Amino acid sequence: MGKVIAIALNTFKEAVRNKVLYFLLIFAILIMAFSAVISDLSISSPEKLIKDLGLASIDFFGFLIAVFVGVYLVYNELDRKTIYTIVSKPIDRTQFILGKFFGLLFTIYVNIAIMTFVFFAVLYFRESTAYEVMIKHLYSETSPGHFVMVQSEWVYYLKTIFLSMGKSLGTMFGVYTTVLTAGLMKVVLMSALSLAIITSFAIFYSTFSSPTLSAVFTSLTFIIGSLCEDIVRYADKLAEKAGGISHLAGAEAFKYWFAIVAVHIVPNLSYFDRRMNAVYGAPDIAAPQLFPPLLDWQTIVYGIGYTAAIVCLASLIFRNRNFK
Amino acid sequence: MSVIETRNLSKIYTHDFLDVENGRLRFNFFRRTTALEKLNLNVEEGEIFGLLGPNGAGKSTTIKILMEILFPSSGSARILGRELGNKAVKAQIGFLPENPYFYDYLKGAEFLDYYGQLYGMSRKARRKRIDELFTLVGLPDHAPNLALKGYSKGMLQRIGLAQSLLNDPRLVVLDEPQSGLDPMGRKEIRDIILSLKQAGKTVFFSSHILSDAELICDRVAILNRGRLVAQGNMTNLLGSGAKEYEVVFSGLDKALLDSVRPLARTILQREDDVLLILESQTDADALIRQALSQGARLVSLTPRRETLEEYFIREVSRKPEQEKSEGAAA
Repeated sequence: MGKVIAIALNTFKEAVRNKVLYFLLIFAILIMAFSAVISDLSISSPEKLIKDLGLASIDFFGFLIAVFVGVYLVYNELDRKTIYTIVSKPIDRTQFILGKFFGLLFTIYVNIAIMTFVFFAVLYFRESTAYEVMIKHLYSETSPGHFVMVQSEWVYYLKTIFLSMGKSLGTMFGVYTTVLTAGLMKVVLMSALSLAIITSFAIFYSTFSSPTLSAVFTSLTFIIGSLCEDIVRYADKLAEKAGGISHLAGAEAFKYWFAIVAVHIVPNLSYFDRRMNAVYGAPDIAAPQLFPPLLDWQTIVYGIGYTAAIVCLASLIFRNRNFK
Repeated sequence: MSVIETRNLSKIYTHDFLDVENGRLRFNFFRRTTALEKLNLNVEEGEIFGLLGPNGAGKSTTIKILMEILFPSSGSARILGRELGNKAVKAQIGFLPENPYFYDYLKGAEFLDYYGQLYGMSRKARRKRIDELFTLVGLPDHAPNLALKGYSKGMLQRIGLAQSLLNDPRLVVLDEPQSGLDPMGRKEIRDIILSLKQAGKTVFFSSHILSDAELICDRVAILNRGRLVAQGNMTNLLGSGAKEYEVVFSGLDKALLDSVRPLARTILQREDDVLLILESQTDADALIRQALSQGARLVSLTPRRETLEEYFIREVSRKPEQEKSEGAAA
């Protein structure tokens, strides 16, 4: 176990000294900040736009980190031949793969934590700086129709920034929640679980192919996995149009079976996507059965099981590899 | 006890099905390369064993198989009396690969600490050992806090050697430990190898710097094109007697020089000095007696044994021709 942790920490060190990581992180944070600005364009519910964009960014940038950092982790060890000294040490190759996997996962989770922190802070900041709220805090009505400014705008902004950051931390650790952020942390946790699957795939592909190919394979897995529900719906529609599966022929049949096979070999990541529920699925406006719950054990077990299986497969391939 | 023992160890590389070579696609249906063929080696405890051979001879392949970087196609090997893959055995081995390139984002001390953890050493043991090693391999004082990307090639080789000694190993395996080093660096590595032997460790290393190998090795094996050409100690391989005699005279008579010309294999003249290389001791004795009686002065007499390099070149270049002629005869 100590050796796995040592490899994981070294992997984390390698990743945080990689410039790509910072580029991605800064870009994600910029998008979240930008979402607060453009949310004013939304007439009905600006905070929904921030939530939607923010949650999507956390998921997507988590995926990008898994791909751009993940596919190089094993490759670099082979390319720079550092693997030679590693395998000659008294460690098991499985320990090496586990260390790489947990190191990458830890890197991604630290980044998700930073993005989530910014995301909640932006939400709280946006809430406290809405026009009506600000007016209430900046001016006091001394007599009917007479308003006096009680504090400077900039002092208020500064206070709000620190307050939002505090609230954001509170929400992340589950000690502070308002209607605004209810359920969002659970959505992030489910996203994090789906990213564990993607991470295991990035490591898996890189045990036997080049970084470019691994990146392509991992991306395809992510895309097909995220669109699973839609692909199934598309396949069903094809079958329906032909009047049953047995009536499918030619290109249609190929499309149908290709879709079905693709959906069954990649993980169904749409199980983990609980954004719709948290952003739009307030119980008073929609029937609860339309949306899955925010957290459920079946999906958690599915996620962990899938990840474990792929990591096992990766280590199986790696155990039997020759390093030229 | 045999520290390393290989039996009929072979490695055949199968090429990738499809390859890009000089910008063109190349199909490699069933294309195979034999890197090592039925190698039988035996390295005894406490000796310095050199694995020698030209590029592509299979030296690195042998070491990689022993270190489990590659798996053999057939044959078997035992280290410290156990089959490959035993973790308890690996804990007693130190290994330095060829042209080591380590994690350049780590500082010297961080790097050794990481590898120490892989050996399962305690924090206290690691700290103590790392300090010792920086001194042992002769790295400068600022090296522990310098990122490896700032290390020179020689420094990398030294820290590579340090990581191979972390666990105070019984067997040290070094793949081309002197490549890329200047003469000073080569000498220092040589001294470290000798001090390891003094400490009772077995050193197994590959090299193509034959003069150094000759100086320090107890025994050597010579590989060529995947096959073992020779194996043994220096006396076995090179013989104990002198192969030729170098005699240097000054003030040698021209008439005398002409008369001994047929006896000498080589004659070199520089100013007043004449160097003659003679193949037999009797010729040398006769020549010296005659020259001295005619008033020449003997500057030096050196009996010369065959060098490992001469032996190596003879063995390595003889084999393919011999095989060819055998093949033609068949």
